[in-house]
Amino acid sequence: MAQKIVIDPITRIEGHLRIEARIEDGRVAEAWASGTMFRGLEIILKGRDPREAWLMAQRI
Amino acid sequence: MNRSTTLAEELAVRGITRREFLKFCTIMAGVLALPVDRAARIARALETVRRPPVIWLHFQECTGCTESLLRANRPTVAELVLDVLSLNYLETIMAPAGHAAEKSLHDTIQEGGYITIVEGSIPTADDGIYCCIAGRTALDILKEVAANTAAIITVGACAFYGGWPSTPPNPTGAKGVKDIISGVPIVNLSGCPPNVDNITATVVHYLTFNELPALDDLGRPLFAHGRRIHDNCERRGHFDAGEFVEAWGDEGHRNGWCLYRMGCKGPVAFMNCPSIRWNEGTSWPVGAGHGCIACGAPNFWEMPAYEPVPIHVLTPPTTYPEVEPVKEMSPITAGVIGAAVGVAAGVAGAVAVSQIAKKEE
Repeated sequence: MAQKIVIDPITRIEGHLRIEARIEDGRVAEAWASGTMFRGLEIILKGRDPREAWLMAQRI
Repeated sequence: MNRSTTLAEELAVRGITRREFLKFCTIMAGVLALPVDRAARIARALETVRRPPVIWLHFQECTGCTESLLRANRPTVAELVLDVLSLNYLETIMAPAGHAAEKSLHDTIQEGGYITIVEGSIPTADDGIYCCIAGRTALDILKEVAANTAAIITVGACAFYGGWPSTPPNPTGAKGVKDIISGVPIVNLSGCPPNVDNITATVVHYLTFNELPALDDLGRPLFAHGRRIHDNCERRGHFDAGEFVEAWGDEGHRNGWCLYRMGCKGPVAFMNCPSIRWNEGTSWPVGAGHGCIACGAPNFWEMPAYEPVPIHVLTPPTTYPEVEPVKEMSPITAGVIGAAVGVAAGVAGAVAVSQIAKKEE
């Protein structure tokens, strides 16, 4: 019988992660991982002084 | 650590000497800029305090603040003090995940009286969908947790004012806690990240005096943000002497001269980094040869990191006070020498200023 498992939040990691899995006969048939947080660094970095890119990127 | 035990009992169990504990209390009194005799009061309070529950929320963050916390540089006692806090919910280190983790959160909220620590900004654009935990938005979670909390401590620039996620064009509408929550005591431990000694000291202050430390007009603790970096910088002498780094790796850089012209924001930054330092007190950004980026200031990402900041009011004085001890002498001699010293100082000052002006041309 198919069963769906959702684990959210995944702890002991850096960041935000959600795992969903569809179980069939005691085995994982399909699984989905989602990062559930977005900040848009790529958008923020556009047009900025390139010398500052590392300062921001190291804080991802 | 059992919630009903005191720190003193835990210290005994873990074999930490009283001498070591008192040393920690004295250091904390120092970080808090309290008179040394307050160390005894801190010690008494910490020995008897029961664990206040804590909820540590992660929103739009890089976990750098948690990493900073985990770098407690006086681990044996500092860990215990932070252990005194009952960290009922901290995603990065808690054992439960998923529903079990959320149960800890809900149980703590129902109990009330907890301290909330917030790390990361809160996205408000598009109904807050840019940060979701267990299917709920950061905005919803913060509002629910704030409704029943005793106080909120924001750690880091993001939870303070929005941090780098809020840098224009602020794609997710990121905001700080103070822009969303009102009616609850909030202390902003700014910095990107804040120093663990300041986090620990704020907690120690709360446990000792049962109130948050004195704050500036931005809600930041005065003990950590009351002094200008430029005024306490070990390179300040080079600034006053007009000795500036002009390019990375040049002679001045190798000699540890002033980083102002490389974009150092020390003159507009209010933090205690020069005195408490980082990495177990070994160094700090300016000490390591890079300018300060004023990470404790609001909207600091909008100051170009590598362009000098205007400091018209902070240029060095053209004359300096007399430093030689004054010997007893006749008023006439004193007057003549005084005039001569004044002229000499004036000339020296004028030379220094003209050198700075020359380099700026």
